[in-house]
Amino acid sequence: MATPIIIPKFGQMTEESAIVEWLKKEGDKVNKGDILFTVETDKSVMEVESFEAGTLLKITVPPRVNVPVQSTVGFLGNPGEAIPAVAAPAPAAPKKAEPSPTTAPAPAATVSAPKSIAPAAAPVAASVAPLPTPAASSLFRISPRASALAKHSVIDATRIKGTGPEGHIVEKDVRNYLQQHGYDKLRISPAAKELAAKEKLDVLAIQATDDSGRISVADVERAIAEKPKPMSKMRQVIAQRLTQSFRDTPHFYVTVAVDMTELIAYRSQLKAAGAPYTVTDFIAEAVVLTLQEFPDVNSSTDGKTTRWNSHVNLGIAVSLEQGLVVPVIRNAGQLPLLELSQRTKSLAEKARAGKATPDELSGGTFTISNMGMMDVESFGAIINPGESAILAVASTKPQPVVRDGKIVVRQMMKLTLSCDHRIVDGALGAKFINGIKQKLEDIELWKRLAA
Amino acid sequence: METFDIAVIGAGPGGYPAAIRAAQLGAKVAIIEKEKLGGTCLNWGCIPTKALIAAAETFEKIKHAEKLGITVKGASVDYSVMIGNKDKAVGTLRSGINSLLTANGVKQFTGTASFVDRNTLEVNGGASVPASRISAKKIIIATGSTSAMPGFLPKHERVVESRAFLDINKLPASMIVMGGGFIGCELACMAAMLGVKVTIVELLEDILLLLDADVRREVRAHMEKNLGIRVLTGKALEKISADGKGVKGSFGDETLSADLLLCAVGRKPVTDGLKLENAGLKTTERGFIEADDYCRTKVANIFAIGDVTGKIQLAHYATAQGIAAAENAIQTKLHKHDTIVPNVIFTSPEVGTAGLSEDDAKKQNRAVKTGKFRFAGLGKGIATGETTGFVKWIADATTDQLLGAAAVGPHATELIAEAAAAIRAELTTRELGRTIHAHPTFSEIWMEAAHALHNECIHAPPKRK
Repeated sequence: MATPIIIPKFGQMTEESAIVEWLKKEGDKVNKGDILFTVETDKSVMEVESFEAGTLLKITVPPRVNVPVQSTVGFLGNPGEAIPAVAAPAPAAPKKAEPSPTTAPAPAATVSAPKSIAPAAAPVAASVAPLPTPAASSLFRISPRASALAKHSVIDATRIKGTGPEGHIVEKDVRNYLQQHGYDKLRISPAAKELAAKEKLDVLAIQATDDSGRISVADVERAIAEKPKPMSKMRQVIAQRLTQSFRDTPHFYVTVAVDMTELIAYRSQLKAAGAPYTVTDFIAEAVVLTLQEFPDVNSSTDGKTTRWNSHVNLGIAVSLEQGLVVPVIRNAGQLPLLELSQRTKSLAEKARAGKATPDELSGGTFTISNMGMMDVESFGAIINPGESAILAVASTKPQPVVRDGKIVVRQMMKLTLSCDHRIVDGALGAKFINGIKQKLEDIELWKRLAA
Repeated sequence: METFDIAVIGAGPGGYPAAIRAAQLGAKVAIIEKEKLGGTCLNWGCIPTKALIAAAETFEKIKHAEKLGITVKGASVDYSVMIGNKDKAVGTLRSGINSLLTANGVKQFTGTASFVDRNTLEVNGGASVPASRISAKKIIIATGSTSAMPGFLPKHERVVESRAFLDINKLPASMIVMGGGFIGCELACMAAMLGVKVTIVELLEDILLLLDADVRREVRAHMEKNLGIRVLTGKALEKISADGKGVKGSFGDETLSADLLLCAVGRKPVTDGLKLENAGLKTTERGFIEADDYCRTKVANIFAIGDVTGKIQLAHYATAQGIAAAENAIQTKLHKHDTIVPNVIFTSPEVGTAGLSEDDAKKQNRAVKTGKFRFAGLGKGIATGETTGFVKWIADATTDQLLGAAAVGPHATELIAEAAAAIRAELTTRELGRTIHAHPTFSEIWMEAAHALHNECIHAPPKRK
């Protein structure tokens, strides 16, 4: 009997996943430990190994279909072995573009847990252009002759109003539509029309850029590039969570300039001595220490209750090609500087390689976003849902500053704290961020901590 | 100091059309030429070689006329008359340019131009004439290129490049052509047809490497089998020497000797004496002046066109650039010059290409389909006895768009014009295949090749899959 292949559950919050790519084809031999397929969760793309050896007999779930976790996605066994007649799991997402409730009711999640969201429609069903209103698909009826004419003309028939029985679009409607929209004046090269038809574009919606007013292949290629494309699951989660946060959390911002001159000099000294601390390590340590002084900042609220977190779980934003993840260093308050530095480094590397587990990417209580290497003056970050503040670190630059009534050049770095005003008031925000600043400027502290 | 709206440096096939176009648009125009109107193309390139090749082809036809029922006895070649005829053709065309420039009110200056600043040029007409200065709001550099002569070649009258070769009054009995590019191959074919024993030596693995393998195989086979040209590839010509008796060189272990060595290894840009630095311009590492698709250089009022820009070294490309440069220098709305550039090679057989080659498509990872048809399957080809070669279309595999074309065979250099127009108009092979072509003509072959791409040929058996 063939063995079913199960799509695993990554992390506690994952309810559904989609296979990104099958790395084995039906009929391929599979060794124990071979990677069968990659899975996209709402945090990352993970590789799934085979627990057994055999031949991949059947793939029952193709890539890019959302299914509940623990579903059967294929079968492994000996060639010729019977495959149980199992219905493919119901896709977790409806095929049509209409919005629908998610499959499973959201579990009683902690505040910081991202909610499972409805994935975007499959690309086939995505509507084309934002121009006139395409009809809702259930109401769209068209006669075969009208449909053939619309297809031949390379236009989007869903934009046509039907005058036949029950709003049926008939050939006359298509002809009228073509006339009203100046189809007889449309000029398009044969290859451009061919390409538009292949890509299911509406030629009436394509602009010609050439002086001659003739739509060229380059114009159609531009229209193809402008077509809406589905976001990756990761991008969708980023969009959903940041929108939620920015909408539901009243943000305010406090900025201070930190004199990094001495700390940078000390860091070079340490580096020369073989202790490669990064500036982020010092900032992370200063944040952890300050959070312990101001526990209210290490809290979260739902608007009715506040919840204090006894541990500092420090998130450090890492940018990837496809988006952004925040690996979380748990119990950062218990770690000595050296260990904090090592953990930060290894977690960031793991996240960049796409190997961080969903549990390593959730549960933060405070986040640092460092754009120091990006040459920025200052910026404000959006608070991660479930936290009450985020620290935005800008670039360190030589600046003229006043010391003892004289203008001198110092290495200055701007820090901006974004606070959830429901928990953190202006005075607390100011005290907190100045606590960080004072620590970063206190060179004796670092000599003690790094010793 | 006289002032102009536009000054053009160089009156070749890029420069003089630029000057005329600028004058048509109402500008006050100056053109500066150090040698002869028409530049390399008219005086030492395209035109004179075509005059000589036409004569050589006529001789070749006479030699093979017997099978058509024409017997000519005692046909012989007087090469000095051919050269005279060539000079006459060149002279006629040159005076034509002179009258066109005059009729358009373009003021001509003879001498070498150099920049004083970005708006001022000094024209030096030689020791006997005092240098003069002119100023212009916009300046178009069209100084072209010249044959590259590697330093290791002996300086001797038996070692020549293409320009000097065209002025020799007597053909050698044998010659070595160093370089298997289109200039070397054209002159090799011409000489071979007139009875010269020719050896081509090409450093790279094949001659005419810009062409797809099937096209160049056709040319090379004909050159070797029918014209008796020896083609040696893959190694350099070394230990070259020349004396009163002849030239010698070694190719691997073999020693080659001949009466003449023609060097055709490429062309280098002409910027000597321009004093570009006075205008704030620099050349690239290889000596070219960089220009964008609008023919603008890095300096706002200075444009560059043609061979000196190092893009495509063809007269008609320079002309297209020249017209675009003149329009962009005068009008506020900028125009790019076109990018579908037909390329013609007057070897025997002739070659014409336009748009994408199969090699290009492969390099771009682009899925294409090809359709090929041979002249041997064409009524007109068989009737006239011109059956060498083929044409092929290269089309996008999904949209059927014509992306490129190649023709090798009779009249290929004329036939390519239809292909270039079709590619630029973004026709599909189906559209081209539906276009009625007159029968019996050579141009029918494009229609047949378009049918071939879909395996729908009337005049060829279906291909089995």
